[in-house]
Amino acid sequence: MVMMTAMTADEKMEYFMERIESGEKIQADDWMPEEYRQTLIKLISMHGISEIMGALPEKEWVPKAPSLYRKLGIMAKVQDEMGHGQLLLRVAEDLMKPYGKTRGDIMQDLFNEDLKFHNVFHMETKTWADAGLIGWLVDGAAIITQTNMLDASYGPYAKALQRICAEEVFHAQHGESIIMALAEGTEEQKAMVQDALNRWWPALLMFFGPPSKATTGASKQEATIKYRIRKNTNEELRQSFLDKYIPRILSLSLTIPDATLHFNQEKKHWVYQQPDWSEFKEIIKNNGPKSQARLNLRRSSYENNAWVREALSAIVE
Amino acid sequence: MSEKTFYQEFEVFSKRTHAASFQHQFDLLAPNEDMALMMAQENFMRREPVVDIWVVNKKNIRSMDEEERLSLSRLDNKDYRTTKGYGYLRKKWRKYEQEMLDEKEILSWAGGKEK
Repeated sequence: MVMMTAMTADEKMEYFMERIESGEKIQADDWMPEEYRQTLIKLISMHGISEIMGALPEKEWVPKAPSLYRKLGIMAKVQDEMGHGQLLLRVAEDLMKPYGKTRGDIMQDLFNEDLKFHNVFHMETKTWADAGLIGWLVDGAAIITQTNMLDASYGPYAKALQRICAEEVFHAQHGESIIMALAEGTEEQKAMVQDALNRWWPALLMFFGPPSKATTGASKQEATIKYRIRKNTNEELRQSFLDKYIPRILSLSLTIPDATLHFNQEKKHWVYQQPDWSEFKEIIKNNGPKSQARLNLRRSSYENNAWVREALSAIVE
Repeated sequence: MSEKTFYQEFEVFSKRTHAASFQHQFDLLAPNEDMALMMAQENFMRREPVVDIWVVNKKNIRSMDEEERLSLSRLDNKDYRTTKGYGYLRKKWRKYEQEMLDEKEILSWAGGKEK
């Protein structure tokens, strides 16, 4: 029997790497290297809070949905996003326990702007086509990054992703259904989808993060791959998104707003115009078009509901 | 040690049909059991069929730590305890021109005796 308590730090590390390399899943209260814990906390709290912030641009379209069926569909999606946030924050909170941090601290980190959320959720949603495009392509991109972590070495995260990915399939189809209806509609509706694609394209490329540390100064991709949290690099994931979605986008007679975009047969990859990574840096620093408005919405709802938390708080032995 | 908090951890279990066993779903934060039940339904049972839900405050669960879990790995031969260790009887019964009453056969008796 392995005696964890009798092990030196090096032996623990070796035993840990052996476990994850043999496909074992690490549990919340297992010993783990500090770098692993920190990487997971950063990744999962950002993922969780992005789900919650991501519900905001979509929720704007609940009152404006064009039919009752569409309203029910988008409401279900918004509710799912909040549910995903709950799952992921639970996973992050368990990892933060050794630091004595709780859900309240995560919310404060968001409000203090220490905890960031995903670039796509800082953007404006101008028309109903944006609501469709978010489901189709933003959730499509999210499916690529999330399925890449379904086999993550950290058990609770893998378990949460299993639930999340199953629901993302509905999200993607919900988005496709909105986009298809518009793409097969009037000239005005077709133009609406094209306009949404033009505005969202750079954000979709940015979604996967910079190709390397050199672009923005920080990237967790090396650590996440080393610790078997995910399998592929940012660029590999972006390429796999382009593989899957470019043919579909073109099949609907839409134009991708990048004249340089083409597939290099020799190297077997897509060549595309790099998005403006300095703009990406600004967006994730909460200087995007809707960053502050959405943060303020969260801040005020958290303050307005403080009395509920106060009233329901209980003494726990 | 006691403290006033809104955030208590609950483990959530549910079953899909009356005949099914309870299955662990996930955990959640809630201020009390009743809220935990509501949150469980909202968080984990938005689509799949469900006939019953349990929520258990995590403080009432005695779980195992990493080292205790290691003690669960089975190294010994448990053939004497399972039907696998008695598979040779099939051949023996054949000698006596009898079918072996194996698990599949025995559990098929749930249908009762034909009338």
